[in-house]
This record gives sequence, structure tokens and C-alpha cells, in this order.
Amino acid sequence: MNVKKLLHNYLGFLLTLPGMLLIIMILVVPLFSTLYSSFFKLDHLQNGGYVGSANYASLFSDPAIWYSFGITILITVASAGISMVLGLIFALWIDRRTGMVAYLIQLIGLLPWVISMMVGTVLWRWILNGDTGLLNYFLRSLGFSPIIIFESKTASVVTLIIVMAWRTIGYSMVMILAGLKGVDNGLLEAARVDGANTWQVLTHIKLPLIKTPILLSTIVLTMSNFNNNTVPLILTGGGPGTATNVISLELYRMGFTYYKFGQASALSVLVFLVNIVFVVLYVRMIKYDI
Amino acid sequence: MIFKNTKKNGIKITGNGDIKQGASLLELALLLVLFFTNSTPILWGLITSLKTRREILVYPPRFINFTFSWEHYQNVFDNGLGLGMRNSLLYAGCTIVLGLILGLLAAYGFERYSFPLKKILFYIVIAGIPLSIGSAAMLIPNYLYMMNLGLTNKWYTLILLYTAYNLPMAIWIMKGGIEAIPLEIEDAARIDGCSRAYIITRLIPRLCLPSIASSALFLFIGAWNEFITAAVMIDSPNLRSIQLVIYYFRGFFGTDWGGLMASAMVAVLPILLVFSVLGKLMVSGLTQGAVKG
Repeated sequence: MNVKKLLHNYLGFLLTLPGMLLIIMILVVPLFSTLYSSFFKLDHLQNGGYVGSANYASLFSDPAIWYSFGITILITVASAGISMVLGLIFALWIDRRTGMVAYLIQLIGLLPWVISMMVGTVLWRWILNGDTGLLNYFLRSLGFSPIIIFESKTASVVTLIIVMAWRTIGYSMVMILAGLKGVDNGLLEAARVDGANTWQVLTHIKLPLIKTPILLSTIVLTMSNFNNNTVPLILTGGGPGTATNVISLELYRMGFTYYKFGQASALSVLVFLVNIVFVVLYVRMIKYDI
Repeated sequence: MIFKNTKKNGIKITGNGDIKQGASLLELALLLVLFFTNSTPILWGLITSLKTRREILVYPPRFINFTFSWEHYQNVFDNGLGLGMRNSLLYAGCTIVLGLILGLLAAYGFERYSFPLKKILFYIVIAGIPLSIGSAAMLIPNYLYMMNLGLTNKWYTLILLYTAYNLPMAIWIMKGGIEAIPLEIEDAARIDGCSRAYIITRLIPRLCLPSIASSALFLFIGAWNEFITAAVMIDSPNLRSIQLVIYYFRGFFGTDWGGLMASAMVAVLPILLVFSVLGKLMVSGLTQGAVKG
């Protein structure tokens, strides 16, 4: 009995072991080794000795890093916000439809999420390109003056926000829609019988009932945008100047342009600290049995 | 009394015609906007990729009446896109196989057994799902780590990383699939003399096929689309993934948007094919855990 139970325990552990080893080796251990290397001078991967908290001190005293964090938060929050609001509107609308139409809308909505960030961004870069891109053609046709987006700081930031939101509207739409499908129709009807109008039904019944998918997709989108380096790298390259130099780009440059891996490690630790807040929220929000 | 009431309401709502009314003008406009913003970049890219070099720069742009030409596709395939495709197919294929095997075993272990450390291990799996979505925080850690182990710039480098990044999602989806299989089926199989190995490797996979397909889809998309990790880990031109090849085309061709669009179209084609066939599985995989059930 006892031996059998032990074997039983052992088997479950054994089954999860190979996969867990890979996950721990690649997602967990490197974080600790980076924490360690953030206390060293590591230019060009040459160990320049222990420097204590000097890497962190140099990051905190650099106004460019502060600006970078600030613009990242602005872009992250704005694009996730736009994406959540539009996703909610689309989801509420498709919820009234059934069958093929609803399914097709979901597929079209998810399109920007499934194509690679590289391809999606390159395609937008071409549409927004220079003076004679497709966007400026439309602007001229409609009687507006053309805009050379990537030479204007504000336009670059706004464009980055819009492209990031564009990527993710479908995701929030699908998540929220799944939540809406689970809402009991009887509950909504009961509220209507009691005299609630559409707005009250939405804010007092529907929204509270789909809190989980809304929060989960907000977390995922926030993390996805905060950590996104592909879209800024391809779309604006951080420019003009440093206007869109988000923290993930700064991290990439610090490592792979300037080879300051000690400082880059320290910055990675800071970025990870932001992420861990969202990861903890995610683990607490998602529904599972264990 | 209350019960009767709710039941009546339930009937009323299913017969309620005005909930599924015809599309209003606003709805139609919304649909058009969604369709327009999501498909225009791809369609415009496709049109551009099929134009001649000179016509791409013609202003105002031509939408239909252009000279059809394959020259950009010819050009990008002559300059390494084929190799990038082959590499990416290898990376994605191996990621799917490795991810499904490791994922199914782990999912079965988590779902059907209790063992020490189970809780903490499963927390790591769940935490891994959002963590590997955006990998800026992981970029430097993984680079330094793989560098130390001498594992960068090998044919298996990206396979290992992509499997690890997408494995939490795969475990999560397949665990949901196995959860839905009644224990009685396994018990019956055991009574009939099936070994535990047979149950895990033959019976269970057959019974949770949709969740396996869904995991495979996520593994494929994750491996095929990833760019920044590949950019950091791979130096050798022979090992470049397709996204990396596109990236280097940017510099290589300078302002040759035709070539860039052609390579983007080639990279997006497998995704569109797989997604249009298996889109439903993608939706179910994405939303698992967001709703009770």
C-alpha cells in the first residue's frame, strides 16, 4: 500500500519532470543568473569584476532611462486601454450574433494577433511610409494635408500606440466574448423585467460577470506591450531622436549595440520586477483546479 | 414559485426575436472598419509585392491597374528566403513535436496524479504563460545563460527556447483536455489489461485530440513568428529563421519595399492557411481559464 502510493507519487512527478526541467532551465534559472551578473561589470561579456550596485546606480541616475520607462508606460497603458475598450465594444456587438458571421468576425479580429509582429509592423511601416505612402494618399484624397509620421515625435508615439492596439484588439475581443457567452441569459432578462435599461444591464450585470476575462486580457496585453521590442524596433527604431525609445529597445541596445551586459542585466532585473507584479496577478486571476 | 418564474423567463428569451435583429447601420460600419483595418495591410502588401519595381513608387498608387510581376518573389528566394523558410519549418516542426511530447506527459502528470511540489511546479507553468508572451525581460537573461552554456547559434538553440516559451501554454491547454476525459474510461482500459504506458501514449492522446491540435497550433505560431530571440541568438546566416531573413532584407535592399512585401507575404502564408482551418481551436485555447467551465 505504502510502496504503491510512493510509486504513484513518483510517477506523476516523473511525467512532469522533463517538461518542467526545460521550463525551469530556460525561464527560471536565467533570471537568477542575471540577478547575479547585474552586480558585475560585464562589458563585451568580459568579466570586469564585482561592482556592487553600481549598475543600478548608473541606471537610476540616467534621465534617459527614466524617460524610457515613462514613455513605455504611456504607450503600454494607452495601447492596452484602446484595445480593451474597442475589444469590449466589438465583443458586446458580436455577442448578439451567432453562427458563421460571429465566427468570421472573430477570425478577422484575431488576424493581426496571429501574423508575426515582424510582418504586421513591416506592412504598417510601408503604409505609413514617407510622403507618398498609402496613408498620405488617403489623406490627400480626403483633402487633408499629408503627414510624414516618422519625423514627428508626437505622430511617432501615437502611431506606435495605434499599431500596438491594432495587434491586440482581436485578442481582447475574443477573451471578452468568451466571458459574455457564459453569462446566464435568464439573469439579463430578469433585470430587464425589473426595469433595468441596456446601460444598467451592461454596467451592473454583464461587466461584473465578465470581470475575469477582462482582467486577464488586460494583464496579458499590458505585459505583451510593455515587453514588446519587435514592433518599436521595426516601426520607429526608437526615433525620431529618442522619442519612442521604449524600455525594451533600450534593453536591446544596451546589450547588443553597446555590449554593456552588466548594466543590461540590471535593467532586465528592473523590467522583470514590473513583470512579476502582472504575473502574480495573472496566476491569481486565472481559473484552474489543482 | 421563483423557479417557475426563471423558467418562464428562460423560455421567453429563447423566443425573443428582437435580440437577433438585423444589422443596424452602426454595426455594419463597425464590421467594415474592422475588416478594413485588419485586412488592408495584408492586401496592400500583396498588391505591392506583385508590382514591378518602378510601379511601386508611382504616385498616386495603383490598386488594380498595375503590371503583374513575380520579380520580387524571384528576388527574395534568390537571396535566402527559401533557406529561412526551411530553417523555420525545422524549428517549428521540432518545437511542435518536442512541445507536444513534453507537454502531454506533464499535463497528464499534473491532471491525474498528486505528488510533492506539484503546486509550486504548476504555479511555474501558469506564470510561464504570460511571462513568455513578451520576452523583453527574458532577452538578456536567456542570452547570457545560453552564451555561458555555449548553446547559442546552434541548429537546436531556437528549438529549445521556443519549446520552453510555449510549453506552459501547451501544458495548460492539454491539461484542460485531459480533465474532460472521464476517469472511468481509463479504469475500464486498465481492467481490460491496458498498460499505463499504453493509456498515456495511445488512449489519452486519441481522446483529447482537439486540445493536442490546439497546443500544436500555439507551438507552431509561437515558433514561426518569433523574431527578437532569434535575432539575438543566431549569428550564422545559414541558421536564420524566416522572420530574421525578412529583418535583414530591410537593410540589404535599402528601400526595396517590393522585396520586403514579397517576403512578408511568404512568411504570413502558412499562418493564414493554418489559422483559417484551425481558428476555432485557437479561440478555445486562448480563452481557456478565462471563463469557468
